[in-house]
Amino acid sequence: MATRRKPTKAEVRRQHAEQVIVYPLEWLEERSGLVGGVKYFLFRNVPSDVNWMQTLGSAALTAFLVQAITGVILAMYYVPSAATDPHTGKPVAWESIVNISDNLFMGWLVRGMHRWGASVFIILMFLHMGRVFLFGAYKYPRELNWIIGVLILVMGMMEGFTGYLLPWDQTAYWATVVGINLNGTAPILGPWLAQFLRGGQAISGDTLTRFYSLHMLVIPGAIIGLITLHLYLVIRLGVSSPPWSKDAAGGEPEEAEPERLRPGLTRPVPHGAAAMQAEPGGRD
Amino acid sequence: MEPEQPSPDAEHESLHEEAHLPPPSLYPIGFAIGIVVLLVGLVIDPMLISSIGAAIAIVFGILWARDATRELRGETVVLEPERRELKEAGEGAAAAPADEEEGALPPVSRSAFLEGATLGLGAVIGAVITVPVAGFAVLPAFLDQEVHKVDLGPLETFPLGQWLIATFVLDPAEGEVSRRTAFVRNNGLVADPQTKQQVPSFTIISNHCVHLGCPVQANGPTGAILGKPTIHERTANGPVEFVPVVPAGYGCPCHGGQYDPEGNRIAGPPVRALDRYAYEIDNGRLVLLSVYSVSHVVGTGAQAKIYKYKTYGPGQHVDGPEQWFYPLSPPQH
Amino acid sequence: MAAIPKEKPSSIEENRAGFARYKADVKARGKSFYPYAMFHDTIMSLVVVFTIVGLAAIWKWSSWGVTHNPTHPGLLGPVVDPPADPGTTSFVPRPDWYFYFLFYLLRIFKWPESVFLGTIGVPTIALVLLLALPFIDRRRERRPSARPVAMIAAVLTIVSMGVLTWKGATAKEALASEVILDVPRWIQQEHLPPEAVPGAKLFATAGCTACHTYAGSGGSNLGAPDLTAIGARIPSKAFHVAHLKCPSCVNPGSPMPPFASLGEARLEELATFLVNSKGTS
Repeated sequence: MATRRKPTKAEVRRQHAEQVIVYPLEWLEERSGLVGGVKYFLFRNVPSDVNWMQTLGSAALTAFLVQAITGVILAMYYVPSAATDPHTGKPVAWESIVNISDNLFMGWLVRGMHRWGASVFIILMFLHMGRVFLFGAYKYPRELNWIIGVLILVMGMMEGFTGYLLPWDQTAYWATVVGINLNGTAPILGPWLAQFLRGGQAISGDTLTRFYSLHMLVIPGAIIGLITLHLYLVIRLGVSSPPWSKDAAGGEPEEAEPERLRPGLTRPVPHGAAAMQAEPGGRD
Repeated sequence: MEPEQPSPDAEHESLHEEAHLPPPSLYPIGFAIGIVVLLVGLVIDPMLISSIGAAIAIVFGILWARDATRELRGETVVLEPERRELKEAGEGAAAAPADEEEGALPPVSRSAFLEGATLGLGAVIGAVITVPVAGFAVLPAFLDQEVHKVDLGPLETFPLGQWLIATFVLDPAEGEVSRRTAFVRNNGLVADPQTKQQVPSFTIISNHCVHLGCPVQANGPTGAILGKPTIHERTANGPVEFVPVVPAGYGCPCHGGQYDPEGNRIAGPPVRALDRYAYEIDNGRLVLLSVYSVSHVVGTGAQAKIYKYKTYGPGQHVDGPEQWFYPLSPPQH
Repeated sequence: MAAIPKEKPSSIEENRAGFARYKADVKARGKSFYPYAMFHDTIMSLVVVFTIVGLAAIWKWSSWGVTHNPTHPGLLGPVVDPPADPGTTSFVPRPDWYFYFLFYLLRIFKWPESVFLGTIGVPTIALVLLLALPFIDRRRERRPSARPVAMIAAVLTIVSMGVLTWKGATAKEALASEVILDVPRWIQQEHLPPEAVPGAKLFATAGCTACHTYAGSGGSNLGAPDLTAIGARIPSKAFHVAHLKCPSCVNPGSPMPPFASLGEARLEELATFLVNSKGTS
């Protein structure tokens, strides 16, 4: 029971300080509901026994954000042109990358982060996929989330494939030749798909600009949309407990004998459930 | 008795269900169009188009002003008697069904029409936006594919029986991106089957592997080991380089494909023989034409029998049962 | 541990009941995402960012930093590669490392009729299986100890992807531009006399190592024998010249192509080299 005494000066100052923060948030909440959404995201419950392995998903998201930010910055200096610079005899795109690496302040760092961030992103996605598989977290009700995740993986590898061409050096050019021709061997539609990707019958400047558009706009858009769906489902469906954990959320109740009514139930517990109740541990 | 309005308004009227107001006038739109045409005309052709735009604006402006000031001028506004008949979507304004009984009405006609119109117009708008854009994204890759003629230099550059690794640029305007390599050998003279004249015979093999397109290398000594220098020429296609080589065959560094000196596959995953360049002799100069695909070659040199097909991409079979995987090729040169 | 029961796929009611229990449990006993779980996420993300920055720094400084030449291949490869040259005859194309497993798959399917299996067939089947996983495995059981099929499949997949990736990384194609660099080592290891050196260089560049192994170079293809000590086995120069000119005449059924196009003088040089290759000792 709070006693009704006059608040001290310190307490009054603190209340005013809190109001400075709280008032704009309430203003925003009344007009948009966003603050409530963020609060829900931050303060929702997760099982008490979540594992370090379950940080791989957000780690992959961080890697993607690193890629997005470094990519946006690189795009300010990279030129997607396969034309030859008449002064140096080298392709313009290749020169813009050398320019970024050598001349611009911290250019080497941004370019390096983008290049190695791609590998880290893919590794983390595979590790995350392995963790989800291990935990059986692709089962009901998270089947859709698994499918979305596989699509994100495929999109991520396509992003790597399209981005690989952009420096327009030997490794880039020939890896892309093979990659496009790989698609070309698909029956019936293959040759058409290959020519569409290439922008013609042979790799040219059109291929580079096409891949740039895919790499900058189409695939990131798809990835962002899929990640949004993925996160929405994670928040909605909840994070699973490690299946081997003794304290797993949603574990079956321990005591059960077949065909005996448990207090509160009106029907006997079926056999299958009895067998599953033999050991503690998460099933959901 | 209808006010003088363009015909779409008749349909508006007949669908009007509420207390009757004068139907919306299209004159302001006409006026706006006139102004737009005037402004555009100032950019394109001030004399003709701006005059037209001004005329349209003036005409519709007068009609609009007349309409808007009807009440002020004391004219009676003529209103249609309320008509409850509902038409199906798609019937023209002219076909006005007689309104016999109030009861014989199709149940949800107005909302069904609006739904249909929204979805239909939405589909049209969607099509108008996506179809040209999709066409732009897809079609240019398939249209306007050019044949490049490559001038490789005078026939004297090519010693008899000597393989040369020729590097050239297909189109100097495109630059380095159209650089290509071919293995060229002068086979000497051979009797042309039609004219029976002695014509030069060349074996010109493209160095793109027919498995997945990697750059094929010649298996043989070159340069210092061979003891023959590189030949440099300058032709209409820019600088051309010829590196003498004595190949025992050709090999691909990617997945292990191996070919014999005529381009036949001897080992590895390539699905047919190496592609070749068609060529012509123009004023004593060797000129390369387009590339064609080859299933296999029997014999060597000038006597080789080349089983020729149109250009296929790497990895696509040209004969055997697998050729039916690729029934339709994109348009060729 | 009880014998794993042969369950039929769970009914939707069992699934829903289980999920309802989960939700109730989390509500009652769970802890707030912020700050507990989010703290772990933040630490891990920090590790990721520092790893990326560290890799970028090592890339730059082990390449450019060592020689001030960005084409110097440092610990993580060169910072700058030569620009694209569509007419090259000496470049060995390779994809990015995370595609090495696909790359090696293409080398496995080396019969022309099977090419599309490696390019399209196997990857598509793998992708379909991956997407369809939740519909293939419908049991409610999540504990790894009670999912033997899933665990074995996972281990097999990881091991095979790992092996394919590693083999893709180490695959070498024994072509002229790569093998010529081995010649000094051969001279030293095989104690080749000076008259055998021209033949050694020919051997390196004429494509012999595409099928034969020699002193640790080359690849074995179609059962071609190792030639490291061929001079000890067959010391006759005349035999080698005749065999090189027409292998299937001397050795019926041999798939080796003829090398007569090299010319008599070069065939003699090759024979000298082969005869002097008595093994590394």
